[in-house]
Amino acid sequence: MLRYVAKRLVLLFGIVFVISVGSFYLIHLLPGNPATVILGFGASPEAKAALYRQLGLAHPIYLQYFTWISNVVRGNLGTSFISQTSVAGTIRAALPIDLEIIVLSQILAFATAIPAAMRSAKRPDGPVDRLLGASSFTLLSIPPFIIIVLMVLFISIKLGVPHTGPSSYVSFASDPLGNLASLSLPSITLAIGSFVVYYRILRSDLISTLQEEFITMARSKGLSQRRIMWSHAFRPSSVALLGAAGVNIGGLLAAGFVVQYLLAIPGLGYTLITAINMSDFLLVQGIVLTVSVGVVVINFLFDFIINMVDPRISRE
Amino acid sequence: MSEKLLVVKDLSTTFATAGGPLPAVGGVSFDLGENETIGIVGESGSGKTVLSRTIMGLQPRTNVTVTGSAQIDGFEVVGASENEKRKIWGTEVAMIFQDPMTSLNPVMRIGKQIDESLRVRLGMSKADAKARAIELLELVGIPSPTERYSAYPGQLSGGMRQRVVIAIALACSPKLLMADEPTTGLDVTIQAQILNLLDELRGRLKMSVILVTHDLGVVATRTSRIIVMYAGRIVETGTTRDVFYHHRMPYTRALLESSPKVSNHSHTRLITIPGRPPNLLKLSDGCSFAPRCKFATDQCHLVRPELQPSVEPGHSFACWNPLPVNQNEATT
Repeated sequence: MLRYVAKRLVLLFGIVFVISVGSFYLIHLLPGNPATVILGFGASPEAKAALYRQLGLAHPIYLQYFTWISNVVRGNLGTSFISQTSVAGTIRAALPIDLEIIVLSQILAFATAIPAAMRSAKRPDGPVDRLLGASSFTLLSIPPFIIIVLMVLFISIKLGVPHTGPSSYVSFASDPLGNLASLSLPSITLAIGSFVVYYRILRSDLISTLQEEFITMARSKGLSQRRIMWSHAFRPSSVALLGAAGVNIGGLLAAGFVVQYLLAIPGLGYTLITAINMSDFLLVQGIVLTVSVGVVVINFLFDFIINMVDPRISRE
Repeated sequence: MSEKLLVVKDLSTTFATAGGPLPAVGGVSFDLGENETIGIVGESGSGKTVLSRTIMGLQPRTNVTVTGSAQIDGFEVVGASENEKRKIWGTEVAMIFQDPMTSLNPVMRIGKQIDESLRVRLGMSKADAKARAIELLELVGIPSPTERYSAYPGQLSGGMRQRVVIAIALACSPKLLMADEPTTGLDVTIQAQILNLLDELRGRLKMSVILVTHDLGVVATRTSRIIVMYAGRIVETGTTRDVFYHHRMPYTRALLESSPKVSNHSHTRLITIPGRPPNLLKLSDGCSFAPRCKFATDQCHLVRPELQPSVEPGHSFACWNPLPVNQNEATT
């Protein structure tokens, strides 16, 4: 187990290194001089020359990377030349919103998908299974940006539920309930997509696990159906579910961008789209780096959880 | 003692399949006293496993019809709901499964798999259940049981796993133990160990055992009576001695002849039963063994023989053209 974790950690650092090089190089990939790219085409030659010196662009590229990464490690992602604010500070303000949306959506998705999958697996092709199967497929085929628009229309406008419409974001510190309400639509929207994926994966794995001999054995011990489902069938059936969750949560960051933009919720996604529109390249670079590292770390965590769940994996 | 622990009457199990109803077990009747061991033998697909599962009510929950009666210590299993049957599972009747590679939960520590029965069924505390589980592991001959308690099934050998399966079956001291091919999945050298262990435990714990197997060598010395099954029906039953030495049904003889014997010269050709077991979806009205039987007559193909008594008490067979009574005793 320890060896497995050590191996994965080495891999994790390798990937993070590659990501950092990629994010660093992002600015050099754009046409023209990075100083021009950062400051915009309208900047004065003096300002460009000053930035050129400040960024150390005269130095060889590996030295530039070294200077940059040692700042990044210390939490300094530079100062945006557009807004004159610290990039790290902007990210630190926006990131908790993304995390909250993701955590809320995943709680909702798991809390509904697990019982639904168990219900379906109990009687595959029964009426409940068919109903859940059909409705999950319907939900799967509606893209999140349609769902969010429909929800705004019905919940915020027709029903008039406060704090749920566009630009209604309230911070948790100022109004916890209002904050939950303001993030409910994006969380529900993302939860729907996750629910469909989790429900379908867990349902089919549960159905095949329930055919296993050790389930008959558990029955022969005189255990209740509920106990057999939760303590015998669920754990061996959840490996693919967790693997999908790891990948899915990474993808949710991107799906969250669209939803945030539509509702004008000032999370990372909204900030990123704004930054791109304003050609704030240092901010874009900082967000790309943060999100990429986040996705890698989340996948690493899920690998680790999967290992705890199924001890056969690290033994092989 | 006159009270029978298990009484099975006209028990039938039919599966609903895409190809039509499949009669896996048909019209089986027998009984079993306390502290008695009975052997059920037959080829693969003869309905032994389905029969043993039906007796304890452990057949799949859907697409299956069970008729007749099976009473375990007075409890009628046929027609009982899953919740009613749960009350006797583990405590009155328990099963040792065939393949210890698949019958243990691969992601649950073996200690927990034993504990669980003790805590859920007997209401033991966590500490008591653990102590008892370690005792059980010791009882079934697992070395250093305290360490094995927290092992996963994948960390144990096949023989050790089967011992764990036995420990789980014994956890709630059942009166009736169903052993469904308990040694088929194991190495030959381990088979005798496990069978001797079962024998010893039966004597010590005063259980009745139903030993299901295709291997006549397994039941020869360990059972008082034998039931021979073919195509889901009993074709011959009697004391172990009668079945081995005074059998009347040609199928029983064929089964005995096809077991390899140590006394044979090396490179002796093994006798096999020609043909295959019948397709249960297309059973004829006659004797199901008739197509493979060298004594078969027209009557055999048209009318199914019922069990009829032979000369010895408790010995009966289902055959129109039985082997003569006084046959040579040197079959095994």
